Amino acid sequence: MSLPLSAILMLIFGAVVLYGGLAYFVYRAFKGMKK
Amino acid sequence: MAAIGSAVGLGNVWRFPYVCYENGGGAFLIPFFIAIFTAGIPLLILEFTVGHWARGTPPIGFKKVSKKWEWTGWLTVLMPFIVATYYVVVMAWCFSYMIYSIDIRWGLQAESFFSSFLGDTGSPLMLGGISLPILLGLIAVWVSIFLILYKGVKRIGKVVALTVPIPTILLIILAIRGLTLPGAMEGISYYLTPDFSKLGDVNVWLAAYAQVFFSFSLAQGIMITYASFLKKKSDLTNNAFIVALADAGTAFLAGFAVFSVVGYLTVSQGVGIDGLTIAGPGLTFITYPTAVSLLPFAASIFGIFFFIALLTFGIDSAFSMIEPITASVNSKWKISKIKATAIMCVLGFFFSLIFATGGGIYLLEILDHFVTNFGLVTIGLLECIVFGWLYRLYRLREHANKTSDIMLGRWWDILIKYIIPMILIFLLVFTIIQNVTNNPYPDYPGWLIFLMGISPLLIITVASFILMKIKGKKEVMEK
Repeated sequence: MSLPLSAILMLIFGAVVLYGGLAYFVYRAFKGMKK
Repeated sequence: MAAIGSAVGLGNVWRFPYVCYENGGGAFLIPFFIAIFTAGIPLLILEFTVGHWARGTPPIGFKKVSKKWEWTGWLTVLMPFIVATYYVVVMAWCFSYMIYSIDIRWGLQAESFFSSFLGDTGSPLMLGGISLPILLGLIAVWVSIFLILYKGVKRIGKVVALTVPIPTILLIILAIRGLTLPGAMEGISYYLTPDFSKLGDVNVWLAAYAQVFFSFSLAQGIMITYASFLKKKSDLTNNAFIVALADAGTAFLAGFAVFSVVGYLTVSQGVGIDGLTIAGPGLTFITYPTAVSLLPFAASIFGIFFFIALLTFGIDSAFSMIEPITASVNSKWKISKIKATAIMCVLGFFFSLIFATGGGIYLLEILDHFVTNFGLVTIGLLECIVFGWLYRLYRLREHANKTSDIMLGRWWDILIKYIIPMILIFLLVFTIIQNVTNNPYPDYPGWLIFLMGISPLLIITVASFILMKIKGKKEVMEK
């Protein structure tokens, strides 16, 4: 069984917001530490 | 890191995936993200700012607003202590199951094995004896908490450097293994396929806010206590975003580890997902172990991995529940850290024994229901009222802005003063109405519900006032 397209879209949406967001704020924290 | 460790706990593994599945699958992510950004992160910022501004524990933070509100700070630190008394029991179960995983002792009879492991009497009115494996597990967990906490924040830093990444790596391994099993996609499809019609249901939105509220370790004094240890120049707002997204990200990942295995189980046993327990202790000690015992190879390794992940996720949360009360006692009466930690761990151990009995699981459910549905929400509301209405909130905003790159605007004040309290009041009233109209425990006598659910909340409220009234060492010296 393959995953329905709507589930794939929700997977991408969740991953982008959560992991993309986390990566962005961790990057900001490291940038702030370098300052 | 410690704040992430505290926020990420057993609930991320056994609560979020189920709540998501129950409330519209992937569509639940929309209210969930809205709840994160409109309630979770603003409250996290408030707690971080209060701890950083007060440079002390919750009683000190609330006392800085007004002396008469110090009791709220004590209530905030007593609540997680109550939670810890039963949380460690679940960890003791995980500890035993980690050992049982070596030879998959439950076989294909996970349900009856779990029942005999607990010494289940079938009723909260019959306590029965204390289960020896659980007792040993309890001793191991409480001793670990003591050893981590008694030396203070430096040791906490060293411990979380291991206990945050290890379970995350294990969860990734478990998710990858789960996704390679036959039927995994069926499980993931259950988990993520969106049902947008559910977005019109108010219950789904309430579930999203409740999930965020409980998952982020809010209203437990933990974040206030940890923030008091942060360096003066720490970026509070950025830290709040990192903690929130790491917590939610772990919960999202856990869904893949859980639902891939659930999908495998439905295919290999030919049962529908509705016939399986996919939340709470039932998932951890019945459904997941059954799936592990059906794995074609290296079953015990995956069982061990799963329970180590739960133990390491849980231990950060467990000691973070004890730290606020020990730090508060240490700070007010100058009782040495080692003595304060020893007292709280010994007290916690004796309280937790009741949940290690044959009727313990039922008592645990009652207490957990009242603490999570009423206790934590009430404290969250009190935090918004005290800091939003009885103190000049803009001063806290300015304090956070001094060290943060992301500037908080008036929108933050509006969220803390109006939006979040309204949501919490709605949540509280809705839950009260639901409990009154639909008794969750129709088979239990009223006195038992009062004794195990309501009286602990009343006792800690009275205790908060008493602790406020007892003079601290500094006040006695001043006199």
